[in-house]
Amino acid sequence: MSDYSVVGKKLPRVDAVEKVTGAAQYGADIHPAGMLYGKIVRSKHAHANILSIDTSEAEKLPGVRAIVTQDDVPSGRRVFATDKVLYLGEPLAAVAATDADVAKEAAELIKIEYEVLPVVQDVMESIKPSAPRLRGDDTKDGPNRRNINAKIKELSDADSGGNNDTIRKLQAELDKYSDEIYYNISAETHTEAGDVEKGFAESDVVVEDTYVIPRVHQTYMEPHVSVASADSSGKVTVWASTQGPFAIRSGIAGTLGIPLTQINVIGTTMGGGFGGRFGVIITHVPAVLLSQKAGRPVRVQMTREEEFLDGRPAPGCVIKIKTGATKDGQILARQALAFWDSGSVSGASIGSTIRVRGVYKIPNIKVDAYGVHTNKSGTAAYRAPGAPQAIFAGESQLDDIAEKIGMDPVKFRLMNMREEGDAVPAGGSEPKVGYKETLEAVADAAGWWDRETDDNQGWGVAVGDWTNGCGPGGVYVSVHEDGSARIFHGSMDITGTDTAITQIIAEILTVPYESVTIRRGDTDSAPYSTGSGGSVVTFTMGNTAKLAAEDARRRILELAAERLNTNEDNLELKDGGVHLITADPPKSISLGELAAYSLSTTGGPIVGKGSFARQPSTPALAAQIAKVEVDPDTGRTRVLKLVASQDVGFAINPMAVEGQIEGGVVQGYAWAMMEEMQYGENGNVNPGFVDYRVPTSADLPTVESVIVEVPAPNGPYGAKGVGEPPITPTLATMANAVKNAIGIRVTELPIKPEKVVDALKNNGQGA
Amino acid sequence: MSRSNTSFGLQTSPKHPVSLKVNGDEHDLLIEPRKTLLAVLRDTIGLTGTKEGCSTGDCGACTVIVDGKAVTSCMVLGVTASGKEITTIEGLASEGELHPIQQAFIDTGGYQCGFCTPGFIMASKALVDENPNRTEEEFRFALGGNICRCTGYTKILEAVLQAAEEIHTNS
Repeated sequence: MSDYSVVGKKLPRVDAVEKVTGAAQYGADIHPAGMLYGKIVRSKHAHANILSIDTSEAEKLPGVRAIVTQDDVPSGRRVFATDKVLYLGEPLAAVAATDADVAKEAAELIKIEYEVLPVVQDVMESIKPSAPRLRGDDTKDGPNRRNINAKIKELSDADSGGNNDTIRKLQAELDKYSDEIYYNISAETHTEAGDVEKGFAESDVVVEDTYVIPRVHQTYMEPHVSVASADSSGKVTVWASTQGPFAIRSGIAGTLGIPLTQINVIGTTMGGGFGGRFGVIITHVPAVLLSQKAGRPVRVQMTREEEFLDGRPAPGCVIKIKTGATKDGQILARQALAFWDSGSVSGASIGSTIRVRGVYKIPNIKVDAYGVHTNKSGTAAYRAPGAPQAIFAGESQLDDIAEKIGMDPVKFRLMNMREEGDAVPAGGSEPKVGYKETLEAVADAAGWWDRETDDNQGWGVAVGDWTNGCGPGGVYVSVHEDGSARIFHGSMDITGTDTAITQIIAEILTVPYESVTIRRGDTDSAPYSTGSGGSVVTFTMGNTAKLAAEDARRRILELAAERLNTNEDNLELKDGGVHLITADPPKSISLGELAAYSLSTTGGPIVGKGSFARQPSTPALAAQIAKVEVDPDTGRTRVLKLVASQDVGFAINPMAVEGQIEGGVVQGYAWAMMEEMQYGENGNVNPGFVDYRVPTSADLPTVESVIVEVPAPNGPYGAKGVGEPPITPTLATMANAVKNAIGIRVTELPIKPEKVVDALKNNGQGA
Repeated sequence: MSRSNTSFGLQTSPKHPVSLKVNGDEHDLLIEPRKTLLAVLRDTIGLTGTKEGCSTGDCGACTVIVDGKAVTSCMVLGVTASGKEITTIEGLASEGELHPIQQAFIDTGGYQCGFCTPGFIMASKALVDENPNRTEEEFRFALGGNICRCTGYTKILEAVLQAAEEIHTNS
């Protein structure tokens, strides 16, 4: 497939042995001498005024060494609630004790007096005037009111009184939309291109539906944990399980008013992240506060239950979506109105609503999106944040359009996909992306074109797109006297990225993969690195690694020219040595010899440096097909086949890339079929693996992955970020397969058996 | 919020003498009755390869082998394991040689973040020791007590099947 000798190969990962022997050190495995155990005191109510916090009993318990509250936070940034709690499990204080069980006992001895307030958990209820206000009284206008107000403003600005009648009429019209005054809004975003009304008017088929996607937890296997040690000079060391040690360093500095250089963050081996491991105040800040107060190292480790109560999961949302197309299959317009459940803080991926556009030529599009407060914890990124939700709505509706006009769902998508050179919404033109190649590849691999179905079986297809981010990073590479090379950098390995970096450097230095080792530094020692999220690492650090290796290569050739007394033009670096191509008989010198020689030169050792920040990325497509069988009596959906293709640009390690695809697909499957954080009057009611079911090996068949490689111009060897795309289409893939099997469109996830049974009973009504 | 990281929520009480044989080494310990086997292994003995993922026996990350059977060590009180023979992930490789199951996880890419891996390997070992001659479906079902969030299980199953075949062939 390629002429490369190390990149593009299925090589075992660099962390293989430590991961299979239990030697890898995760956050909870760190145990400095004298370490105390921390425990966070949490609200027992989802919405309540705090009348008092009494720590006196807890202080008396033998073994308790420190108790902290919001009074201990110098910046005033909310770490612990003071006057009011907004969700069940919100932190109120933290304790440190000599034993984990003593810390827990002490936490239970802290007396909190509450005045319980009304709770709102549903976004569609929260926007109504009857809902309790969670964070002040801000209201925002819905789409129609926005349009009318914009017209009123235009008329009033343009004229000195002649339009008064029209303005009065418009103001009267505003009143018709009083239900479009939304309460509890945390954020909003609006995008418009073309004229959707015109597009719908010209369409032969228009479909409109409301999709409901639940809040789900990233469910990384390692719960949040940090170990902090503050010494008497004020220096703070934090062993943090995080995707971004440098972001944690600045977060702690800002929250606690500690100078940046007085904080050293040591990233520990990460037990999964998926976007949910960037939080600063969840455990890191409490651990530092406790350690400062106790004068001893403190570990704060969440239980799984605490993860569900106070993690930062993926937001649920409600998306109203409308699509219009001609009878011969051209999509003319799409409009969406989305309400994202941002919980007690703002955020919640509302900007991802525009992903309802997909990879299609849609001339008219309008998107209005709102973040809505509820009595839940805040949210964070989860693998392609916001995309699975928006794409679920968009790709489900596309299937319904295809059915209405009688077109094959794959052909319908192929016909509408953007092509190289098409104008793109953000400006410029579409680069070469394997949209069609990837969809065709999955259709071929799954046997779509001659698919067979027995009773109660169905096939579903969907595609999702995502573009990797990039960010600043630095890499050093040193070549040693034994010919080995050592990489030094500061980015967290996110399941295979260290391996990709190592392969790239071995390729350029032409040395065996096994002779290159990689070491991650802490924030005191390593060059700055962007966080390991947004599929950035292979793109960013891969490019950085290339630059570092090329820099080392320059020094190697310089040394060889000196040593062999020739011009660099006559030299070639290959097979771990430098060869004088003009010599007869051939003459060469190994990297080890050059590294040894370098120590006695005036120019010094072989050290390559790479520093990189950004280049434009190229979108990646994931296309998936599922074949399912639905038992009409039990409502259970069994997956018979699940095939996933992805345009990865170039697979630096195909085994790791397959692993990313397989893992992402199964997470998407789970979101579609199983997972849902459920909330009652007093907050989350399923904070554990018995009630919040994630898939096990017993739930699924083998996922077949198909790698498509259409190189990204700026990626290392053409590589694109691969982690996030595979989750994006799976929700819709599953829903489309179930629709095909039972003839009923389920618009509310997850597609649990009871929902299917009810839908069949009601003949499609109320699904 | 009823469960702590390490105990069953019991109150402080006097420590008990306990003898554990872990990976061939004898440990005579004094432990509180409320401490789980997981807490004893990790905090008292210092074998941190066994992981704590849920503390409720549902994820399998803390799986160790006790007298030949795979158990979730967060569901066992340390005092009740006295006199028993315990194997943890640290006891699997011998004389620098990885166990075939460990090697198979490397060869197939059967792990990613690695947090569930010790539990998966120990659960797989107990299954393979009992009977390596199982179908993929049987292994899928039998490993249903272990959760992995990264791999989607495809490569874990590959690893277990590869190791089981090797062990079956050599037995």
